[in-house]
Amino acid sequence: MKGVIGFIDCHISPELGVLTNDRPLASSSFLGRYAFIDFALSNYCNSDIDNVGILVKNHQRSILKHLGNMMSWVENTKIGHETIFYNEKGILNPAYNSDINNIKQNDWVIYDTDADYLVFMPVHIIMRIDLRPILEEHILNGEDITVVYKKIENADESFEGENLFDIGKDGYVKKIYKNKGKKKIANASLSTWIISRKVLSDIVNVYHGRVDASFGMKEMIAYLLDNNIYKVKAHEFTGFARCFNSLNKYVDYSFEMLDHKKALELFNTDWPIYTCTHDTTPALYGEKATVKNSFVSNGCIVEGRVEDSILCRNVKIGKKSVIKNSIVLSNVTVSDSVNLNYVIIDKYATIHPNRTLEGKEDDVLYVPQGGKI
Amino acid sequence: MGVKLAAMILAGGKGTRLLDLTRRVAKPAVSYGGKYRIIDFPLSNCANSGINNVGVLTQYESSELNSYVGNGEKWGLNGVRSLTSVLTPKQTEEGSNWYLGTADAIYQNLDWLDRVNPTHVLILSGDHIYSCTYNAMLKRHIDTDADCTISVYEVPIEEASRFGILVTDNKGIITDFVEKPKNPISNLASMGIYIFSYKRLRSALIKDHADPKSDHDFGKNIIPTMLKEKRRMVAYNYKGYWKDVGTVASLHTANMDLLMSGNPDENIYTVLAGNKIYSEDAHSAPQYIGKKAKVSDSLINQGATVLGEVKHSVISGGTLIEEGAVVVNSVVMNGAIIEKGAKVYDAIVGVDTLVGKDMVINKDKKDIVLFVNGKAAKK
Repeated sequence: MKGVIGFIDCHISPELGVLTNDRPLASSSFLGRYAFIDFALSNYCNSDIDNVGILVKNHQRSILKHLGNMMSWVENTKIGHETIFYNEKGILNPAYNSDINNIKQNDWVIYDTDADYLVFMPVHIIMRIDLRPILEEHILNGEDITVVYKKIENADESFEGENLFDIGKDGYVKKIYKNKGKKKIANASLSTWIISRKVLSDIVNVYHGRVDASFGMKEMIAYLLDNNIYKVKAHEFTGFARCFNSLNKYVDYSFEMLDHKKALELFNTDWPIYTCTHDTTPALYGEKATVKNSFVSNGCIVEGRVEDSILCRNVKIGKKSVIKNSIVLSNVTVSDSVNLNYVIIDKYATIHPNRTLEGKEDDVLYVPQGGKI
Repeated sequence: MGVKLAAMILAGGKGTRLLDLTRRVAKPAVSYGGKYRIIDFPLSNCANSGINNVGVLTQYESSELNSYVGNGEKWGLNGVRSLTSVLTPKQTEEGSNWYLGTADAIYQNLDWLDRVNPTHVLILSGDHIYSCTYNAMLKRHIDTDADCTISVYEVPIEEASRFGILVTDNKGIITDFVEKPKNPISNLASMGIYIFSYKRLRSALIKDHADPKSDHDFGKNIIPTMLKEKRRMVAYNYKGYWKDVGTVASLHTANMDLLMSGNPDENIYTVLAGNKIYSEDAHSAPQYIGKKAKVSDSLINQGATVLGEVKHSVISGGTLIEEGAVVVNSVVMNGAIIEKGAKVYDAIVGVDTLVGKDMVINKDKKDIVLFVNGKAAKK
């Protein structure tokens, strides 16, 4: 789609506890095959937006490694491209390392482009969203800002810390406030915004100077609304969306996908999720293997028992080992006769023979990257 | 100028004995190992050997194969100083010409080779399954100052009459070559993998083209003629897994070779011999094994959904094995669906094939059967 730039905003990703200690959420693993950023990239790609800017907050190497030559998510490799936006100054001043300051550092996107519309999407909200009709509506009605929300019935236990919207009968946002878990039914922001280039230019050059310099887009949109500077149109999204904002949510939503019918809400052949290929072999199961209700990625060698679990690439499960309710990230070796229940094992870890590791449903045990137990 | 090796992959064959598997697609494009197509092997071998100039010669049912090979990107053969070309028969000033034989196919593309201007040419078959690099073979070719080096594989003597058989002296210099001999005097089979010095190959092909009696075939014409002319012909002993899958049964066996049971020293990791085999990425969701599924001794690719029972089988991506379905000792290719209560024994289920509810395939388990598009293939 010409005239549109899609931003992927890594600045607003929450931490998922120990899992994101040393890596950004964007390149963290989901369901064995994917990195979180794949979902936003695929939403853009499937919505015919192939000019994508990735607003990187930190841990740039890990994101660049996943993106590779950045050709896995564009249709035409000459016309389409992904650009890394990186805020050098922001690294030295973490409090000011916001999406707006990042764009300020890379402000060619405001003057040296033919894109009149800019879309922002988060990494931490995984959804299957077609942006084309939303853009169409935004353009047709000449909106300044359109925000996308989902009506949820469990705001007391999901989308914590995200913004909620009160929406008027005219479809415009009346009030923006933070979800403090006080009510159940709410319009939760999906941190997905469409703004016109003129508006972005005004935000960067004018309005950002009037507020706290640490303000990001999320705070800025609330400021613009509160001060009647722009009207903010609300667009309801009714499809699949999950907000990942803690390690527990990561575990819950990962296991939720083991429900085959639920998984089909996210994975659909009409809406492929693209990721980079690693050319690993198919998964190999031994004669004594028993596997139930699990995702198993390519490169795995399973000789033991795996139930209600997720195995990422190149995981080895030894003979007589029993893995239950666990997430095993890539290149982990689980030796023979090991028992795991409610455990997350990070990449390249080794579990020696005859070990038993037991976490709890609401407090999973975590084995760090490269750990040897 | 240093050594520059170009590879020519012969991928034009029909593979008639693969029955319906090759009715609409060339043999090199046939699915293997749950994820691969056969031609991934020679192409990945070239990539892993640092060979950057690859011509793929196609003829029979070539459109799917041609699109698959493309510019070689799937195997990384599209970088700087790299060239991957699909070479199909073409119209020229002399008229339009099908490839008359393996040698004629290369002859008709001498212009491509001239432009690449290699010092040596590697001739490969597009339908063999083996994972290796060609570096040691090239070294032997250069060290022995050979005109032609032929990769050979020791086969059981009772099977030798199916192959082109070589006789060598104690230094591995080839002294005799017989195509499919009735009474083989050696068990060294030609693998159809040759390295030629380009100049020597070029002149041999031009001479062969001018001979109206020739079948224009490497095994039948080029190699025997060069031997007659006392060219320096050297054997290179290949060690490792190698399969020429000519029939439905041998394709089935080659798939089963990837599993853990059977020969304990052989599974997918020994077949790949530490090399990566590159292939197309299907952008499918991860592989899901269901609540009531039973999976053992199998190889299953991403994008497969297994809700039933799978035992001693190879399952491709995009497949669905429904609850209550049973698949034993079988190969299930891309996109096939095995419905509730269906049972599949000792079979190859072709691409996008539906095995309907409660259907039983190969109840007697006599031979391996091929099941495609709703019916067992006729031999």
